[in-house]
Amino acid sequence: MPATRTPSSRTRRARPRPRLRTLLAGVTTAVSVVALGGCSAAGLPGADGRVAVDYWLWESLQLPGYQKCADAFEAQNDDIEIRITQYGWADYWQKLTAGLVAGAGPDVFTDHLTKYPEFVNRGVILPLDDFEATADLDPADYQEGLAELWTGQDGKQYGSPKDFDTIALFYDEDVLAEAGYAPEDLQDLTWDPETGGTFEDVIAHLSVDAAGVRGDEPGFDPTNVVTYGLGSNGAGDTNGQTQWSWLAGGTGWELTNAPVWGDEYHYDDPRFQASIAWLFGLVEKGYFPSFERVGTAPNLTQQLGSGQAALVADGSWTISSYLRLEGVDLGITSVPTGPIGQPVSMYNGLGDSISAQTSVPEESARWVEFLGGSECQTIVGEEGVIFPARPEGTEAAIAAFAEKGVDVEPFTDLVDDGGTVLYPVTDNAAEILSIMKPVMDAIYIGSRPVDSLTQANEQVNSLFE
Amino acid sequence: MAVSTAPPSTTRGQGGPSTRSAALSRTRRRPDDTKLALLFVLPAAIGLVAFYFWPLLRGIWLSFTSWDLLSPAEFVGLDNYRQLISDPVFWNAARVTVYYVVLNIGAQTVIALGIAVLMQRLTSSSVLRGIVLAPFLVSNVVAALVFLWILDFQLGIGNQLLEWLGLDRIGFFTTETWVVPTIAAVNVWRHMGYTALLLFAGLMAIPANYYEAARVDGASEWRMFRSITMPLLRPVLGIVLIISVIGSFQVFDTVSVTTGGGPVDASRMLQVYIYDKAFAQFDFGYASALSVAMLVILVVVTFFQYRLTRAGQSDLN
Amino acid sequence: MSDVQASATLPVAADRADDDRASGRSPGTGSGGTGRDRQARPRRPIRWGKVLAWAVMGVVLLVTIFPFYWILRTALSSNGALYANATSLLPVDPTWNGFARVFGAQSVEDAIADGGSGAKLDFWRYLGNSVIVATTVTVFQVFFSAMAAYAFSRLRWKGRDLVFGAFLLSLMVPVIFTLLPNFLLVKQLGLIDDLFGIMLPSLFMTPFAIFFLRQFFLNVPKEVEEAALVDGASKIAIFFKLVIPMSTAPIATVSILTYMTQWNDYFWPLMVSYTDDSRVLTVALGAFRAQSPSGGPDWSGLMAATLVAALPMIVLFSIFAKRIVANIGFNGIK
Repeated sequence: MPATRTPSSRTRRARPRPRLRTLLAGVTTAVSVVALGGCSAAGLPGADGRVAVDYWLWESLQLPGYQKCADAFEAQNDDIEIRITQYGWADYWQKLTAGLVAGAGPDVFTDHLTKYPEFVNRGVILPLDDFEATADLDPADYQEGLAELWTGQDGKQYGSPKDFDTIALFYDEDVLAEAGYAPEDLQDLTWDPETGGTFEDVIAHLSVDAAGVRGDEPGFDPTNVVTYGLGSNGAGDTNGQTQWSWLAGGTGWELTNAPVWGDEYHYDDPRFQASIAWLFGLVEKGYFPSFERVGTAPNLTQQLGSGQAALVADGSWTISSYLRLEGVDLGITSVPTGPIGQPVSMYNGLGDSISAQTSVPEESARWVEFLGGSECQTIVGEEGVIFPARPEGTEAAIAAFAEKGVDVEPFTDLVDDGGTVLYPVTDNAAEILSIMKPVMDAIYIGSRPVDSLTQANEQVNSLFE
Repeated sequence: MAVSTAPPSTTRGQGGPSTRSAALSRTRRRPDDTKLALLFVLPAAIGLVAFYFWPLLRGIWLSFTSWDLLSPAEFVGLDNYRQLISDPVFWNAARVTVYYVVLNIGAQTVIALGIAVLMQRLTSSSVLRGIVLAPFLVSNVVAALVFLWILDFQLGIGNQLLEWLGLDRIGFFTTETWVVPTIAAVNVWRHMGYTALLLFAGLMAIPANYYEAARVDGASEWRMFRSITMPLLRPVLGIVLIISVIGSFQVFDTVSVTTGGGPVDASRMLQVYIYDKAFAQFDFGYASALSVAMLVILVVVTFFQYRLTRAGQSDLN
Repeated sequence: MSDVQASATLPVAADRADDDRASGRSPGTGSGGTGRDRQARPRRPIRWGKVLAWAVMGVVLLVTIFPFYWILRTALSSNGALYANATSLLPVDPTWNGFARVFGAQSVEDAIADGGSGAKLDFWRYLGNSVIVATTVTVFQVFFSAMAAYAFSRLRWKGRDLVFGAFLLSLMVPVIFTLLPNFLLVKQLGLIDDLFGIMLPSLFMTPFAIFFLRQFFLNVPKEVEEAALVDGASKIAIFFKLVIPMSTAPIATVSILTYMTQWNDYFWPLMVSYTDDSRVLTVALGAFRAQSPSGGPDWSGLMAATLVAALPMIVLFSIFAKRIVANIGFNGIK
């Protein structure tokens, strides 16, 4: 009868059970050990009685430089321990937000212009003016305009300028040589939205179709292009930092009605719309990749490295990626000069902010002061990754880049000559992004006309009412 | 139907003393295992209440407020829902998501079922099973990145292949017609082995003597598949479908890594929109309302699925 | 079902099924992989069905494996040369540096020069953390879920269907609802940056395991259970000594899948961990993704990391796969 055989004949198959039980016991023990053992929650005091300041940043390439800064700081301030944590850009803001919501965030963190207005409005970051260490932050110590970017509407300083970046054109000298150009031929290019200027001539000549015909030669086939004269970084959503800020800005167009804290956008300005029409019009001419090619995650380094594009406009924070490209003899030149008579680029600057939830505000302020100070900025500059906000730091960076074999003056000259437009600092940045991105994409694809920007502009401005 | 509806007559086992079970101490009434059941369900119920229900209630509450995560929530009544009804992005997202789910689950189920049947009939090699399961080892994000590259318009080997075959290159992630099917295909790649394994376990529970008897009667394979395999697999298939659909509705990582919702909202799925509202725009109240809407859709869909597939019943007993 | 003998001959039946397949008559073979297109010509002696089935299987395997080959090829390439030779089928400028970065064996300067991030990776520690988290969660989660599944399938009690519906509902709770409250709870319990904090929300159950196991527990034949009851076994004993052993295959399946899901979990462990103490492998591998807004990922490092992270799971699977194979076809009688 089956019943009698049920329990005993299970022996072979019942073997998993006792093993499972032993496993369970072992795991429970292990778990308890772990749970009781490791417990260094954020916010606990640091080792050996020093006050711990938690600092977060996202740019991994800058981590070594800031670690050196932290070491130097700790040597001079033996009562403070700096704990640096780096999270990649993709995770950084979510981790920060979750940390702020739960009260488990950092004390000091690298802040970005698109986020800091929201933080100010919600009282998430503290004004530096309130602390002895940072109360006397002098904007003149930094490259012009950077401190202003981080000044709130109440006139207080919410971020300590950290670095700046501008846009320039990258190219492969070998590709130029094949086209019969020398690097000098790319200097002092001119541009205007109607004719495209000498800039368009160069781009046309650099474009090559599958039959080897160049863009300015007869018989050029725009539908079958192998190398595009200008690379594409997408449609550019709200400010087109790398995509078109240096074109539209060169017409004298201003994105908002004030350098910072504007409340009116100018996407309806004819100069802007003409610039966009010119840029996306290059697709039909075969000088600029279509949206289909580059999609929503374009990669300029990839385009230059694979020979898909001859010239790319990218930011100074990407220099290291281009240097790394094998088989590319990298050259950098300034963006072309628009109708206003000098090259113009968008000018962004990161800053360090103090979290309102910090339990050690004074120590945090001392760290922020050091970060914005000459010593740290020179250390970071010497790493040759980005341009620190202080002029002496910038000089150190220029020298470091020169050692790596690249002349970065096209980036820094813009700042010296005043050819910059500030990155937009306004409220509602995220909503504006969600409005503008689909519109710009649609215009790039060609499914919407350029003048639909006027309607989008109304939508954007209605957010400020 | 349900298992323990053993008619009292066969339970002549009024027999021995039971140590704990209430069932045996009552000899003529239907067995009532309430106390025991509560004990068995307790740990899972703790998890349910603490980590699912409490957040659910809180989330529903938040949908009636305006909350920016960093300052206290303000009650706004039905404002979020009114905004939702007239929000074109929401309706577009709902439509795109449904389209995606239909493509994804449709393809995934058919392919997984086929693989499971092949694994059952062709070979029981565990190497093969391992290979088929392998895509699940790759995280969502990495799988999306790899396919982003393989299917790149210019540099992708996928398009290279198309060109060798004499076809036009396709902007898989960059054209509105192809973007949703492509994302669905990436997720099918990742999940087909996983689903196949689940269905395979279900197939294994079907006693082979049914097939033998049918073969003796001269039934064709197709007939056997239709009359034996499918009906007996139904409960497992039903639950796998329900869970797959629920998971598929909440797709996020793949979209966020490859297209971010583009081109021009063509792949802006519900979860992508919700995340953007919640964490980027700090509009958590509205995002909660959107999530409640998604929840309602899921409840309705699941309800119909459960009924249609009668996943609560087993035909084996 | 008086199929005692039949099931005892099950393994033999499988062999016979093999012979039947040879004559193209085994069920399901003709259904192919991509749809149930009828190949149903039972009398065709040529193994058309089998050939087609193997062909379909081959295509499936190819589609499955090719991206892995791509991952391997990229892992062995160096970042700088990748864009220039994007479609090359062989590794470009082969190097082990990607793997070196994963194991933390490359110096920071070299890593940066190669296109990686400058982050230091304590690989073995992260691996250990991942193993602890995944194992603990799997063991407890599957056990508790099996208990609940038993209650829903083989016990009779008031409100059973209602509670089951509640569990079904939990499957649909939107992710953004659970993220912050769970995080707050973990913080209030003082479990931030602690492996236990990572494990906590998943430790008790997962709706999926409950449903899946319930379907299998439903199939346990009533006669066997009743026989055991007659013998004086309690329902608890039936659970441990009868139902579980008879469901080893689905339990093993669910366990493996749970393990993999926990292993690959990224976002929640990212939220909870702040230092290396509680960092798991997937979170550490975030170091290979794009670090700055418009940068690209460290391709060779990321691909190498993917392979390395998948390896322990492959080992685990190959150990447990045999257990599944040994128990297949068992439908419960003896």
